[in-house]
Amino acid sequence: MNNTFNVKRFGWLLKKTILERPAQLLGLTALSFLLSFIIYGIVRMMSDFEDAQNFSFLIGLIGGGCFLASFVFGHFTTNAAGSSFLTLPASLFEKWLCGVVITGVFYLFLYLLFFRLMDIGFVAVYHHGLDHKGPYFKEQYEAVRVLAYDEFIADKAFMMFFNFAGIMLVGSLYFNKAAFIKVALIGCGICLGAFLLNMLIANIFFKNVQTAFPYYLVWLMEGKERGRLELPEATLQIVHAFFKYIIPVILWALAFLRLKEKEF
Amino acid sequence: MIVINNLSFGYNRKKLLYQHLQLTLETGNIYGLLGRNGAGKSTLLKNIIGLLYPLEGNILVNGHVPGKRQPNFLETIYFIPEEVLVPAITIDRYIDLFSPFYPLFNREHLMVYLDRLEVVTKDKLNTLSFGQQKKFIIAFALACNTKVLLLDEPTNGLDIPSKKRFRKLVASVMNEDRMIFISTHQIRDLDNLIDQVIIVDNGQLLLNASIPSISEKLSFKTVDEIPEGLNVLYEEDALKGKSIVVENIRKEETKINLEHLFNAITENPALAKSIFNN
Repeated sequence: MNNTFNVKRFGWLLKKTILERPAQLLGLTALSFLLSFIIYGIVRMMSDFEDAQNFSFLIGLIGGGCFLASFVFGHFTTNAAGSSFLTLPASLFEKWLCGVVITGVFYLFLYLLFFRLMDIGFVAVYHHGLDHKGPYFKEQYEAVRVLAYDEFIADKAFMMFFNFAGIMLVGSLYFNKAAFIKVALIGCGICLGAFLLNMLIANIFFKNVQTAFPYYLVWLMEGKERGRLELPEATLQIVHAFFKYIIPVILWALAFLRLKEKEF
Repeated sequence: MIVINNLSFGYNRKKLLYQHLQLTLETGNIYGLLGRNGAGKSTLLKNIIGLLYPLEGNILVNGHVPGKRQPNFLETIYFIPEEVLVPAITIDRYIDLFSPFYPLFNREHLMVYLDRLEVVTKDKLNTLSFGQQKKFIIAFALACNTKVLLLDEPTNGLDIPSKKRFRKLVASVMNEDRMIFISTHQIRDLDNLIDQVIIVDNGQLLLNASIPSISEKLSFKTVDEIPEGLNVLYEEDALKGKSIVVENIRKEETKINLEHLFNAITENPALAKSIFNN
């Protein structure tokens, strides 16, 4: 058999990874779905549909993805589990790919499917509850539609999903114990540091900076008026591409390198 | 065959556990790796399986570099750590999930070994006691029929009858194509099992000798008075006099006491070395 990749062996590994700890793996996935459902319902009651959809989608996709990414390589909490994982006769590439497939493919598609069904359900209930003979029926009906997966919010959610899940994959290979918490704390620290650095740089160039976050936007106050200043389009595209493609690829590749050099 | 060439390893470069270790282990033997707690027995096993990487030197296991962790190497070697962990699945499911990775795995063998070790359950493996879990993993590892089997403190957690069954089982599955390497600080558990003794202490290999050669070089006996003119490596008060380990000048046949051997070698490494080099 090939020492780098063999389809049959990869199949065994994928099967073993999923069925060895089915309760945890499927439980985590189900928990993320449930959390997403609850958030959708609660925010829907407190605010409008768009907020409910956006908030629920972001939390479910990113939160669940991070949990799962932390779990797939989370074998290093005990000597026995870590040794068993690293000495299992499968290649490093296959072990890495298994984590990538579970987190970046299986979870992503299952979540998108779940969210679409849930969203259709909520929207259908809303549409059903409208007064069909009311004067604003058409406007009210058209105002609420299922979340599009190719628009702004989904685009940003996918970007964050691949970045944060990548960070979790790497982190779970660096920290043997409580990796999720440690990586989450470091992630928060990095976000805070980036925010402060952004603010600092923005304050050097502009006066009356209100905020400068996430990374391409500065809000300025002029009297009582609030204005936004964005990066030039070409630069913005480069920065977006960096966060959307380059950093995730680096992070997911870094997970492979870390797995290769992992000693236990 | 395992060839350890000039191995230096430590978790800290300033405090090395092994320095320039040279060791060759031949197929067809059951090796007993003896050492104090913290002497680096598990560390050596982890270097051999490729869980740790040497700081200097290299290791070859049947021609493979363990640190590469390639599947064609890993399917020929099985490592059982001191603490085992079994998933919450049944024996049948465990076989279904893990055995495909080992081409020489034999289900019938596993059933025989489980029977001999008295592991019987239809429930999930995690519901078994620690000793039963360990016996299951030992049986599974043996049934994988790998060329090399590394066992780290395998008898820890086993009751006295289980230790006896373990020894019988390991001895019965041994053949010329296999090598079994057992690390332990419970020296008595390896009595009548191993055919080669390796003793490490303070990062140094103090002894690598076969049981016949130890018998030939050393004499283990109980005496009233320590005879003069003999190189005494170890003495200990016993019920009927003193138990001693001395150079076997008269070529007597005595039964090796592994515990006394270990003490003799670690307390008098220089003298032991000169005796074995003669």
